[in-house]
Amino acid sequence: MDKAARAAGLRAGQKATDAMALVPGLVTAEAEPEADAAALTALVDWAVRYSPAVAPDAPDGLFLDIAGVSHLWGGEAQLVADFRARLAANGLHFRCAVADTPGAAWALAHHGKGAEIIAPPNGQADLLAYLPPAALRLEPQATAQMERLGLRLLFQIIGLPRAPLARRFGKQTLIRLDQAMGRADEALTFRRPPHPWFARLAFFEPISALEDLQRVSFDVAAKLCARLEREGHGAKRFVIAFHRVDGKAFPLTIGLSLAGRDPVRIAKLLAPKLETIDPGFGIDVVTLEAEAVEPVSGRQVRLDTSTEAAVEDGLAPLVDRLTNRLGEGRVWKAVPVASHVPEQSSRHAAPLKPATSGGWNPEAPRPLRLFRQPEPLENVMALTPDDPPRQFQWRKRVHRVLQAEGPERIGAEWWRADIDTISVSHVRDYYRVEDQEGARFWVFREGLYSAGAEARWWLHGVFG
Amino acid sequence: MSGFRDGRLAALKAKIAALEAGGRADSESLPFGTPQIDDCFLGGGLALGQWHEFTGAGMEVETAASPAAFAALVAAPLAQRGEAVWVLRRDDLFAPGLAGLGFPAERLIQVCARDEAEALAIAEDALASVGVAAVFAEVEAVDLTAGRRLQLACEKRGSTGFVIRRRPYGGQERRTASGSAAATRWKIAPAASQPGPGEFGLGPPRWRVELERCRGGRTGAWLMEAQTAFTWEAGHGPHPLRLVAELGDRQLAPAEPVRLSA
Repeated sequence: MDKAARAAGLRAGQKATDAMALVPGLVTAEAEPEADAAALTALVDWAVRYSPAVAPDAPDGLFLDIAGVSHLWGGEAQLVADFRARLAANGLHFRCAVADTPGAAWALAHHGKGAEIIAPPNGQADLLAYLPPAALRLEPQATAQMERLGLRLLFQIIGLPRAPLARRFGKQTLIRLDQAMGRADEALTFRRPPHPWFARLAFFEPISALEDLQRVSFDVAAKLCARLEREGHGAKRFVIAFHRVDGKAFPLTIGLSLAGRDPVRIAKLLAPKLETIDPGFGIDVVTLEAEAVEPVSGRQVRLDTSTEAAVEDGLAPLVDRLTNRLGEGRVWKAVPVASHVPEQSSRHAAPLKPATSGGWNPEAPRPLRLFRQPEPLENVMALTPDDPPRQFQWRKRVHRVLQAEGPERIGAEWWRADIDTISVSHVRDYYRVEDQEGARFWVFREGLYSAGAEARWWLHGVFG
Repeated sequence: MSGFRDGRLAALKAKIAALEAGGRADSESLPFGTPQIDDCFLGGGLALGQWHEFTGAGMEVETAASPAAFAALVAAPLAQRGEAVWVLRRDDLFAPGLAGLGFPAERLIQVCARDEAEALAIAEDALASVGVAAVFAEVEAVDLTAGRRLQLACEKRGSTGFVIRRRPYGGQERRTASGSAAATRWKIAPAASQPGPGEFGLGPPRWRVELERCRGGRTGAWLMEAQTAFTWEAGHGPHPLRLVAELGDRQLAPAEPVRLSA
């Protein structure tokens, strides 16, 4: 709610129709509580830069415990200034207050005069005195009751006898009052930083033998996997680092195709890579970090006596072995892509991805081998404008075409290109031709026929 | 007496077959469904749990398109048993083309190896894995040691290997196979296709197929065509390959004996 809105008479909690009546051209948007909560979480995570103890205050606030850290910024005022500068740079409007107790700070931030209030130590009582009772975070009924009885400001309430106050407005009112004045403790639910998936083993004596490295890689994996198992998680990537005595670290990464937590498997995948480690004068610490952690349910033993092996048994370890040995991009499964352009109609996907519905058009003939780059054909003899070649030369051999089929006209995907680059020269006319020996080729002519210009022919693939 | 001899012979043959199957009781075979071809094999069909070699000729030595297509069709009925792994040296296998032939491309894991030795090692690893029914390996040549290792890997789980011999582009032939541990060796060359009556263009692909070597069986040469109606999901449908014609004996006796001049 900014100044302009308040000047127009809008307020939070107003009905949308009332607001529209006040401001006819009002742009409205649906409330998104989940998105707001996510944004608050992000802000809370970010606020850790000021203090390790940050508590979210849903829906739109946060508590920052700056006891003992404000001197790092040179004082509370400087801390608030830094806070303001950073939030303003991100376009966030805010109100904040620094006080001895969370209750007082909340009251000043929400109902105080001014966007930034810093209460002096033990000075919150004076500042709170002229705030409305709503500043105490009371139940709505209690606040309404106070309003009705003419208790408009807090100093009126603070002066009242405690026992009747509790009886009339509820015990909560007393607790909130005490919390604001610093007479009672308030427990805040501080955000707990995510516990990293990390395990560490330190050795009394530095190790350097390969067998020792293998053994400790299993030990550290077992340590981390025990925790993963306990919390029902598995990871797809593990980074092990061997820290040498001289401070150098040698990280190794392995990947799994399915999230897992089997230390034997992890150690097995690590074993061939351990040879690349140069232990130097010895390794005294080994750390293992799990990345891409996701919930993994325990495996259920199958009741049916199906002969088909479970993926976890055979394929997943095979794919893991191959991927870790060859590298990420060298093991794949081809999946269809909705594109007419042949080289874009198939995409590399993760090898254990379940098969998707829909496939390639079975009516359109496609070669078994598709060259990455179409190869130019020479000495092509073809009738104009749209006949398949009669004869062509490829790799120094002349092929006479006996049978042919086509053309299949495939155009560029104009909806993806800039308007200036679209032209008929990006059209390809594909022909399936068979030469005198029966070998089948997939050739295409580039662009449409135009008189005078020499047609360019390419070989894009061979059929089996 | 004769009955006794036949009985002894049958027992010995069974013993040899058991030895060759590596102690596996369920040595299976994949029949082509055509007696002319199936009779050439010891088990009445292409032996599973072994590896087979497919070579091309001419231009196919480098592209190996026809051997690959033929091997894929031979192996297509195996797709019901598990996944297939295709070990490549060059990433030019086009999945839509395989799918067009009727091969289940969605059950195929492709692996691109960096060199010949690695390709063979991957093929061996894949053959010995649970859940893999067929492994295709595009390699230049398989020597006796590597072939033996492939065979042992095949016997471990009963999966079948299809070695497609392919020379790297632009290279000279570096290695020649000296003897082979393959169960069968096939030479595949493309043949002119025949469009159906009343149709024009190209018919289904045809191959001139030579069974050059067959352990425990006979050799032969045929003209075969891809069955257009084939789908791998159908349990007992037709075999993906159809016999078109039997080709004459390729080793024709010379018309005139060669005279050696003194």
